Amino acid sequence: MYNFPGFIKQAPIIRKTDRADICLKVHTVSLSFLSEDIRMKNEGKSAQRPDNTAFTQQRLPAWQPILSAGIVIPGFLIIGLAFIGIGIGLFLTSQTIQVQEMDYTGVEKDSPCFRCTIPSNLNCTCEVTFSLSTLFTGPVFFYYGLSNYYQNFRRYGVSKDYNQLTGDTRYFKSRSPEEDCSPYSYDSNNNPIVPCGAIANSIFNDTFELYQIINGTKKQVPLDGRGISWWTDYNIKYRNPSPVNGSLAKAFDGTVKPINWPRPAYELDLTDPNNNGFLNQDFLVWMRRAALPQFRKLYRRITDGDYAAGLPAGNYSLTVHYNYPVLSFDGRKKVVFSNVSWMGGKNNFLGLAYLVVGSLCVVMSVVMLVVYAKFKFSDDDDA
Amino acid sequence: MADSKTERGVKWEVRANDHYFHQSCRRKSFLCFRWGRYADNVVRSYKYTPLTFLPLNLYEQFQRVANLFFLLIVILQCVPIIATIPWYSTMLPLLFVLLVRGCKDLATDLGRRRSDGQINRRPCDILTPEGFKTVKWKDVRVGDILQVHKDQVIPADLLLLCSTEPHSLCYVETADIDGETNLKFRQALSVTHTELNGDSVKQNLAAFDGIVWCEKPNGNLHSFKGELHWKGERHLLDTDHLLLRGTVLRNTDIAYGLAIYTGSDSKILQNCGKLKLKNTQVEMLLNKTVLVILLFMITTALLLAVGAGLFEHRVSPKYDVVSVLQRDSSPAYLGFITFWGYIILLSPSMPMSLYITFEVIHMVHCLLIGWDIEMYWEDNNSPAQARTTTLNEELGQVGHLLSDKTGTLTQNRLLFRQCFIAGHIYGDMSKELKPLDLSWNRFSCGGLKFSDQRLVDKLRERSSPECQEFFTALALCHTVMSEWRDGLPHYQAASPDEEALVCAARELGWVFLSRTRETLTISEMGLTRNYQLLALLDFTSKRRRMSVLVRDPGGQLKLYCKGADIVVLERLQRDWPLQESTERALELFAQGCLRTLCVAVRSVPEALWTEWSRTLSQAGTSTGNQETVLEEIYDQMEKDLTLLGVTAIEDRLQEGVPETIATLRRAGLKVWVLTGDKTETAVNVGYACKLMDPDTILIQGEELRQLLESPSPDVHVMSKEPEVWITDRRAVKSKAALVISGPELAEMTKAPEWGAKFVALSDQCQSVLCCRVTPAQKAEVVEMVRKHSTSITMAIGDGANDVNMIKTAHIGVGLCGVEGSQAVQNADFALAQFRFLRRLLLVHGHWSYYRICILLRYFLYKTTAFALVHIWYSFYNGFSAQPMYESWFISLYTTLYTSLPIQCMGFFEQDVSTKSCLCWPEIYSIGQKEQLFNPLVLAITLLYSVYTSIILFFIPMGILQYSALDYQTLAVTVQTSVLLTMTVEVILHTKFWTKYSVAAVVFSLVAFFLSTLALHSTRLFTASPKDYFFLGASPNAYSTPEVWLTICLTTCIAVLPSITIRALGVVLTNPNKHKIHSSNKPVELKSWFQRGTLQRRSSYAVSQGKGFGKLITTGVGLPSTAPPQDRRVTADSLKKESPQGSLIEMNSGDVAC
Repeated sequence: MYNFPGFIKQAPIIRKTDRADICLKVHTVSLSFLSEDIRMKNEGKSAQRPDNTAFTQQRLPAWQPILSAGIVIPGFLIIGLAFIGIGIGLFLTSQTIQVQEMDYTGVEKDSPCFRCTIPSNLNCTCEVTFSLSTLFTGPVFFYYGLSNYYQNFRRYGVSKDYNQLTGDTRYFKSRSPEEDCSPYSYDSNNNPIVPCGAIANSIFNDTFELYQIINGTKKQVPLDGRGISWWTDYNIKYRNPSPVNGSLAKAFDGTVKPINWPRPAYELDLTDPNNNGFLNQDFLVWMRRAALPQFRKLYRRITDGDYAAGLPAGNYSLTVHYNYPVLSFDGRKKVVFSNVSWMGGKNNFLGLAYLVVGSLCVVMSVVMLVVYAKFKFSDDDDA
Repeated sequence: MADSKTERGVKWEVRANDHYFHQSCRRKSFLCFRWGRYADNVVRSYKYTPLTFLPLNLYEQFQRVANLFFLLIVILQCVPIIATIPWYSTMLPLLFVLLVRGCKDLATDLGRRRSDGQINRRPCDILTPEGFKTVKWKDVRVGDILQVHKDQVIPADLLLLCSTEPHSLCYVETADIDGETNLKFRQALSVTHTELNGDSVKQNLAAFDGIVWCEKPNGNLHSFKGELHWKGERHLLDTDHLLLRGTVLRNTDIAYGLAIYTGSDSKILQNCGKLKLKNTQVEMLLNKTVLVILLFMITTALLLAVGAGLFEHRVSPKYDVVSVLQRDSSPAYLGFITFWGYIILLSPSMPMSLYITFEVIHMVHCLLIGWDIEMYWEDNNSPAQARTTTLNEELGQVGHLLSDKTGTLTQNRLLFRQCFIAGHIYGDMSKELKPLDLSWNRFSCGGLKFSDQRLVDKLRERSSPECQEFFTALALCHTVMSEWRDGLPHYQAASPDEEALVCAARELGWVFLSRTRETLTISEMGLTRNYQLLALLDFTSKRRRMSVLVRDPGGQLKLYCKGADIVVLERLQRDWPLQESTERALELFAQGCLRTLCVAVRSVPEALWTEWSRTLSQAGTSTGNQETVLEEIYDQMEKDLTLLGVTAIEDRLQEGVPETIATLRRAGLKVWVLTGDKTETAVNVGYACKLMDPDTILIQGEELRQLLESPSPDVHVMSKEPEVWITDRRAVKSKAALVISGPELAEMTKAPEWGAKFVALSDQCQSVLCCRVTPAQKAEVVEMVRKHSTSITMAIGDGANDVNMIKTAHIGVGLCGVEGSQAVQNADFALAQFRFLRRLLLVHGHWSYYRICILLRYFLYKTTAFALVHIWYSFYNGFSAQPMYESWFISLYTTLYTSLPIQCMGFFEQDVSTKSCLCWPEIYSIGQKEQLFNPLVLAITLLYSVYTSIILFFIPMGILQYSALDYQTLAVTVQTSVLLTMTVEVILHTKFWTKYSVAAVVFSLVAFFLSTLALHSTRLFTASPKDYFFLGASPNAYSTPEVWLTICLTTCIAVLPSITIRALGVVLTNPNKHKIHSSNKPVELKSWFQRGTLQRRSSYAVSQGKGFGKLITTGVGLPSTAPPQDRRVTADSLKKESPQGSLIEMNSGDVAC
């Protein structure tokens, strides 16, 4: 809107002038093309009458749930009770699960593995004994646990080469993103490390043997290491390179083992030739990194022989081949024996959480009932 | 010669019929370069060409800070060392946003191209050597001679050469240019008229070789300076010779013109201003919130980076697995790197897709406004129209409605309803009228809303000389021009009042047939009589009356006068009869909200006339203040009048206006009326349209001044009413209205502190009426309200004079009424009727506000809760910027998994039904008070999202830390919980479940589970192991009962507060409130209402400007003996200016206030 006071003089002669509004001639401007557009439309006689449909008129059939106290209060009660029910179920189930957990880090001087904590002591073996008063029902799961160990550190987590681990030998010599595996990509002689990266390099290398002590003699409990990794990991995600002339070792020609490893990948399990390379179960379990700095990973299952029904009551001895250093970062190592239920391992927290939430809901419903009753009666009084 | 042209400012050369000259100087352009002089007549309102679309559109889009921010994030993600999540997780949403926006822009631009094409393809006739040929508008060139037919739109700015009318007059309608619907005339130079017109007009035109020198193209619609050089002579040109593009030729068979300015040079296109983009308060608050989130994000990232540095410093040296990875970088450097990593990781908390969703929702709401059949006006086939697509939610927050009066509240259609003649009142105000039988009158055109057989009988029987004289006066005393169509006289009047009166006289047998410069011909009951017009004492707003001095066929001199009652009554002969009954009649008419005019007559002795006319002609030549001199001279003649009667004209309110205003007032809106009309009229209309109650007291003039001067203005002080009122504070507040006039307002705006006081005072009153305000003052008032109150202002008007205020207000509404489309062009919303405002505000506005506020809150909640989880996870991963989610989830979360349900809510949600919105206007106040979107609500929303993020992380973490489940399982658990929580939350928000809403929720969930499973499938992993390394994570997780138990628990705890608050709300609210939802009480607009008025409110209405006085007195356009002369540029041209001419100048100055 512009005013041109200088041009007030020449008023158009025929003027509709009943309105003092136009009295001061304001030269209004800023017309848009649309004025012509509108005219065109009007000329076109195309009726601009909007469609009378439920959609355009915002009359779509709709369900409008109207909550009332009659729905809300019982609703809360029902939800609360359901949660309490689930919580009790979970809690009771959790109680039936047996857990035997032992820290074998050897921080305390009197602990059996204390002597193995001295760095110079290589190939140290220590023995942890424990006794079971009742039958430990099977199948028993045997975990190792680490704490204060940041497997979820981002740079650690990306330090591997997925392409290499699918057994693609093209990636043995060259890395897809060069950065990821570094500095565990090449050794000091510039030989490519396979499998590369920090995760593989830092594989947990303590090993365990479990014995039942029957009348002073040790009877070895058979540990089953098969199928402890994810099916997808074992069958799809990780593949060994195709053996060259029937030898897996030849496929790894020209590569070197990760620095911390005692043996190359194709010799991870000397007892079972099929449990080698990238398909080694312990390797697979380790590569599936943990979410939190305190974690446990499945080591073995006890499913075979005399122990298929579980570990009978009695004394046991666990022989630990102590290799993995954790003391430098205040880490802890432990072993856990546990059986499982439908809901997984022992987890009191889950049941308790359900119980708490359920109780809260019930309490809320009672509070609301009281409030509602007060309101309602005061309304009645008003009426 | 050339220098003198430069001096005179005429540098634009147009040679008639010289195609080659203009062709050589055509304006061309390539990209942004332009050369040449003359534009072609093609309208190009589109922005993009196929070549420029991509760069230009991207440039525009990246002007948005949000888009730019995310572009920076994408760039950051390409730096490997800080790329916490892969580049595509931000790139995908960004591309999505850019694509949607680009498509929208493209569609709009194509629409513009289409409408351009329609205009460019319109036909017009151009003179070619073979005669007139029909071509398209776009082919018109400067220098072409065009032939324009009756009712055609003029395609370019033309110099009128000649027309088929006498004196080469032609009439144009300029409704699209200045909003005035009345016809204006343009006249060709008499030299072109005489030389070119004739039987061989085509040959003459083809031979025409004049050269026009005029000013360069400019946007000044009301001035034009130029000269025509032809046959060795120079003729001055001005606006009267110019036919502007966009005007319509009327009442003229054919006009011939020379194209001077074409296309973008034409005045109307030069005037095209750019629309200022308006931002809503909600959007501004949103922007601030986004800024707060950004600051929060940066601070958090900074703190986490410090954490990372500390971790590097304290922990990792002992932890060789990690420390080796960092390769001996300093903790500070690592912290710096981590900072950027966290910026990337937390960037999803910035609601990027919010802006695009916001736009889409706005667009749909605008469409819904246009689609509303309840706001469609059958009569002129116009639906409501949302022209600005960013203001919808503000429709639900309007606190002040500033309305124009004429044409907005009133129909601007005046009806002769009653009259008072010789002690009798004829006609009544009843609704149902028996139409009079007027078949005896062959000139009757119908349209009379007057029924009183007594008067007709008296007139037909000629039994009442007073009545005859009264109607003779009506038929003579006016400045109306007649035009004959189908054997009936049609009138062109300067004021609708006059037209109503002359039409009424025609219907009742006193037909004004025609006029020349010196005569008036009327038919009195079939008897044609000629009156000699001696003088026309034209109307001015100061005189408030007009008179004609005529010599009747009997040779008697008579002065007929009509005017506002106070001016006429004081000029009557002393002790005039019927004084009391006249007063009573005036009072009665005023009660019926009728505009009254007094009609009077005076017999003038011959001697007086001779003397008076001499004085008049002397005054014409005298110098000095001619205006006052003339006024005095006129005064001498207009005295000793005899009252003939009083006319009463109804200024009809628009349909449904009182009901609408009453409803809006209940909704808490302050309705102000800003009008150029006089105080009395405005007050009258104010009472009539329920703006004020019948017993409302008016505070105006001195009273108002005193009140404003007092330190704390309070209405109670002023109320001199009984004690009862003072005790009831609220009653007093609602029973006062402020009335202020333009001059007072001008004074007030000088003292700035008065504005605040005035607005504060007005809040205590029912209403405010601003009378006699200029368009500029209207805008000032709007500005004042905007400045001194926090509420949203809405201005509504229909005419060109409202454009200022429409543009100034937060929201401008234009009524597409009779006054052309100027107001609509500048408005944000266009309506056909004032009463549609009720639906626009209470239904569409309320819903828009509700939907948009809920949407924004939910959006902020969902993005922040989603991103904050990363913060909590940092404490457990050594501040390493490890993402909690899979990168695909991050990119698909905003775009695919959570966008549809909330959009459906934004489209369809109805918290209360249409009927309830209209039945309980009080609901509207939630928008006015900003109850749904204010800093407090936002803070609560953000705190709640913090709570949710804590739950979303710590519950799964607490449960899963005891198990042997890995990171990927935890990620799947958390992201499923996030999604379910957000879905439950949107379900809780939705109160109106259409099939689309259900489908959207189902779709989102299905899309999430399907795409999660797909992304974790073998096929994708084998294609690219690096990007799909979550292989098998979700099938594994979803087959673990523990995960499901965790998800269930997490979701429940996360939404529990939200559910509890809603449940408490349900329990605590009075059950009666639910009726709002379920009520089916019908709402209808009553078409009429009963007025109850207690006080006399006289209204005086006469035309407010000058009439056709100039036309009549100069005789232009009338068959008269002396055709007017052109102004030649001769030495004595100034002296030739007739005294009449200067008199006219004066009158027009008068009109300009």
